[in-house]
Formats: sequence, structure tokens, C-alpha cells
Amino acid sequence: MNAIEIKNLSKSFRGMYALKNFNMTVPMGSIYGFIGENGSGKSTTEKLICGHLVADSGEIKLFGKEYTDAGVRVRVGALIENAGCFPSSSIYANLKMQALNLGLENIDEEIHRVLKIVRMEDSINIKFKSCSLGMKQRIGIAMALLGSPSLLILDEPINGLDTDGMRIMREILVDITKTYGCTVLISSHILGELEKIATHYGIIKQGQMIQEISAKEMESRARVFVSLKTADMQGAEKALKAKFTNVKVEDGYLRVYDVDQTETIVETLLKSGHVVSEVRKNRVGLEEYYVQLMSKGGK
Amino acid sequence: MSQQKITFESPSFFKRLKSMLSVDFYRLFHTPLFYIFLAIAAIIPAMLIGMTNMTGPNGEPTQPLFTNVWQAIAADTPIYGFEGIEKYANMNMVFIFGGIMVSIFIGHDYKSGYVKQLFTTHAKKEDYMISKTLACAFAMASMCISYILGAVLAGALTQTSFAVNVGNLIFAVLGKIFMSLGWASLYTFLNVIFRKYFGISIASSFFFGTGILVIGVGAMVGNTPVLNLFLYGSSVFACLSSTAVNALVCLLTSVFWAVVYNAVGSLVLYRSDVY
Repeated sequence: MNAIEIKNLSKSFRGMYALKNFNMTVPMGSIYGFIGENGSGKSTTEKLICGHLVADSGEIKLFGKEYTDAGVRVRVGALIENAGCFPSSSIYANLKMQALNLGLENIDEEIHRVLKIVRMEDSINIKFKSCSLGMKQRIGIAMALLGSPSLLILDEPINGLDTDGMRIMREILVDITKTYGCTVLISSHILGELEKIATHYGIIKQGQMIQEISAKEMESRARVFVSLKTADMQGAEKALKAKFTNVKVEDGYLRVYDVDQTETIVETLLKSGHVVSEVRKNRVGLEEYYVQLMSKGGK
Repeated sequence: MSQQKITFESPSFFKRLKSMLSVDFYRLFHTPLFYIFLAIAAIIPAMLIGMTNMTGPNGEPTQPLFTNVWQAIAADTPIYGFEGIEKYANMNMVFIFGGIMVSIFIGHDYKSGYVKQLFTTHAKKEDYMISKTLACAFAMASMCISYILGAVLAGALTQTSFAVNVGNLIFAVLGKIFMSLGWASLYTFLNVIFRKYFGISIASSFFFGTGILVIGVGAMVGNTPVLNLFLYGSSVFACLSSTAVNALVCLLTSVFWAVVYNAVGSLVLYRSDVY
């Protein structure tokens, strides 16, 4: 069973399509990294799943059921854009209201549980408006975790955070996904962070899904390359191009794509009188994979 | 990573409504807004009655606004058109200030983004409408009681007459309190319609709360009971000569409009984006 299944979903705002015949499949138990440029339709998709927007057409199913089904919705937790909290109320009061909304029992116990997950047990009485951005995002996640949801939807939870905030947030997300085993749909621009936790990816462009791929599949598809440095990069490039088809200078390194025989490359350079100062075997990461996919027009 | 075994149990309408009501009442009792408006409701009649015994610049007694404390609660007879401030300035004013309170209460749902949390989970649009209507009706009914306490206290301090037919008074007060439901549903509806425009929500609530439309029609067609079909009309109908019929008319009008506004408001929410 898939946690989310979207078929031919369309949504327009004043005649402009934000999503057009959009399809998406999020396997149950996965951590689904949802990637796309600004305005590509990520937030619109998430808001539609959460029932905040009304679709023009199409179908959304959560765990095989209609997404409006109250039984399914009670299993969904979300952080869309920002934590929807009352600024003048304390963290406790805000969490209590959501716990009441969910009809939870043992509310205080549950509030302490989620605050512990996001490492904010000691901040329970602070007013929401006094919290930093990082704290607010964590409160948003705590709120989404109330009632142990089976599906967690997180819209750019890392955005705007400083390095330390990002580290804490990543640790929290890893903790949530490993410990609680719920399906997570997470959108982010910070692909390096996403790569560390996602098991599946969906890449959206101009309101259409251009590729859905598992992390394993992406790894097997990702191009391997050997990157190296020499004193004379231009001469070395010329020498390598005589033997290898795909040689490029990128980011101050000489890259030989689709080849993993480091020895042959080093031998070729030595024979042509180039001393190799640094050599590394590599694989194209999510960020480069994404850039390459986009530069190909998403085909 | 282990996969959760998921069970789906659809909460019944009453369970959903109970959850939503718990949220709204918790919020009502834990924010200063409600208490500020209770205080406002008590201060208004106190000021009106205080004006009754005022003197002119040369110490001469002025024309008293009320000869009786209970006239600050309701007019002697139902007068739909405007016939002077003393006939207009009574407990119906609670419904004007109540409208502002409802606008702020609901407006904060949208302004803070809390409404996202509500609608992401199992809450249905009708749950939201009904719960907001009931919580705000309770708040307005409480304001009515606060208004009465303010009037009684000010009356006692100014030694204004308390003479009244108790039965009529009880039916008048009951009628006004019943009207809280209808007014709360109107304001909830207006705030749902103008949810993206906080200022317009408040202005529209104030505009309808004054009863200006019914007053205008009343001035043109005269004192006709047909105007009891409307919220302001029934609110005026709850007067110091009220009987059980007046209270019943108020109850029926109030419930009728509450059903209409809740149904239309839910439909609007279902057919449009939440924010």
C-alpha cells in the first residue's frame, strides 16, 4: 500500500496552473524527498494533501483511502510553511490546543513526549512569540508529531535555519524517521541535507512530476567519476582526452566521467609527464543529479 | 526502519465536534480577549445609567436617559425604527461588541495560521462552523449576563428605580440570550467569508451588528412584526413587555439563522481554499 497516491491532480490560481495532471506515489514507510525550484508546485501539492486547498481536478489517496476521510486525516501531521501557533500563547497552550483538536488522551504526557523529541522540554512555558526561528520550526514539528501520525508532511523545515539549527533539525528528523517509522514527505532546497535521510525522491518542475526515483536506484544510475588535480590542468586534460571520452574541468578539478579505473588514469598522466597531486573516486550526488536532470529539461 | 501497522478509525461527528469545542473553549478561557469583552459589557450599562442622573452646566437636572434600570436591558416595547438613543441603547449593544470579539477570535485563527493545524487533521468544515458559533454564542451570552450585572450595580449606586414585572423581564433577558446564537452564527459566517481580510471582517460585523438595515426598513414600513424574521428585529422584540411568545420567537429566529449561516458557511469553506 502506498502512503500517498496522487493521480492527474490539477490546481490553478486565477487561471494559472500551479499543478497540471500531477502524479505522485509515496511508498509507505519511506522518507520522500520532494524537490523542485521555487514556484514549481511543491507547497501547493502539500497544501492539497493537507486539505488546505481545493483541487480543480484529480485524485488524492492516503493509505488507499480518500484523503478527506476523517479516519485517515487523524493520522496526518504537517508543518506547512510555518508552525500555525498563537503568538501570545505559551508553547504548552499551543500544543494543548492541537492535542485537544486531535481528541488525545493523556495530553500532558503526550506534550512532554513530543517536546522531548524536538529537544525543547525545558521551554514549555515560553510564549511562542519569544521563540527563535529554529525553535518555532521545532515546535511546528512537535505539533505535527502529536498523536504519533502515520504520515508526516514537512514543507521546507530546514529553511532559514543557521548551521546549528540545521544540524539539530537533521538529527531530529533522522530520529523521528528511525524511531517512529512513519512515512515522511519532506520538501527542501537544501539537497545535501535531504540526501542524508531520504529513501525516495520526487522531482517536480513547473507543476509536473518529472521523475520519481528511490535513493538506491538513483545511486545505481548516478554517474561515477574520478576527480584529480595536477599542476598543469590544461595539459593533463589534453592528455586524458586522447584516451577517455568524457573529461571535464569542474570546480577546480579534472573529472573523468563513467570510468572508475583510477590506476589507468594516473598511469596515463604519469606517462605524459603530469604528476597527480590529488585523486578521488566519486559518484554524482543528489544536487548534481538534480542539476543535470533540470539542464536536460527534465527528460 | 520499521513500518507502522496502521488502523483507521473514523471519529464520529459528535467526537469531532467535542474535540473542536474543547479547542475553542480552551482558547476562549485562556486568552484575555474574552475577559476584556466581559468587562466592556459590564461598563457600557454602568455608563448609560450613570448618565441618567447627570446635571447640566448650571447644576439643573437633565432629561434622564432611563427612569428605570431595566430600560438599559431592553426597551419597554419593540420599536424597530430609530426613536432616540434611550430606545436603542440597551443590551442589543452587546451584539455589536460581540461581533468585534468574534472577528478577533476567528481572525486570529487565520492570522496565526492555526487554522492549518485544524484542517490538516480530521476536522470537517461544518465542525469548524458549528464549534465557532457555539463558543462565540456562549461568549456573547456571558457578555449579556455581565451587562446585566453592570446595570444592576450601576442602578444600585445611582439609586435608579428597579420596579419591573419580573416575568416580563425574565422573558426579555431569555430572548436576548437566545439571540446570541443567531448573532454568533452571522459573525462566524462573515468572518469565514472575509477570512483573508481581517479589517473587512470587523467592519462588516460592526455594520450588521448595529441593525442598521432593519432600522432602515423599520423607518420605512413602520413597526411590523415581519421584522422579527431578522436577527435585529427579534433582538428588539425581546422587550420589557415580553411574554413566553417573545422568547420563543427569539429562539426560533436565532436557531433558523444559525442553521442557515452554518450551512452556507460550511459550503463556502468546502468550495474554496482555506487561506
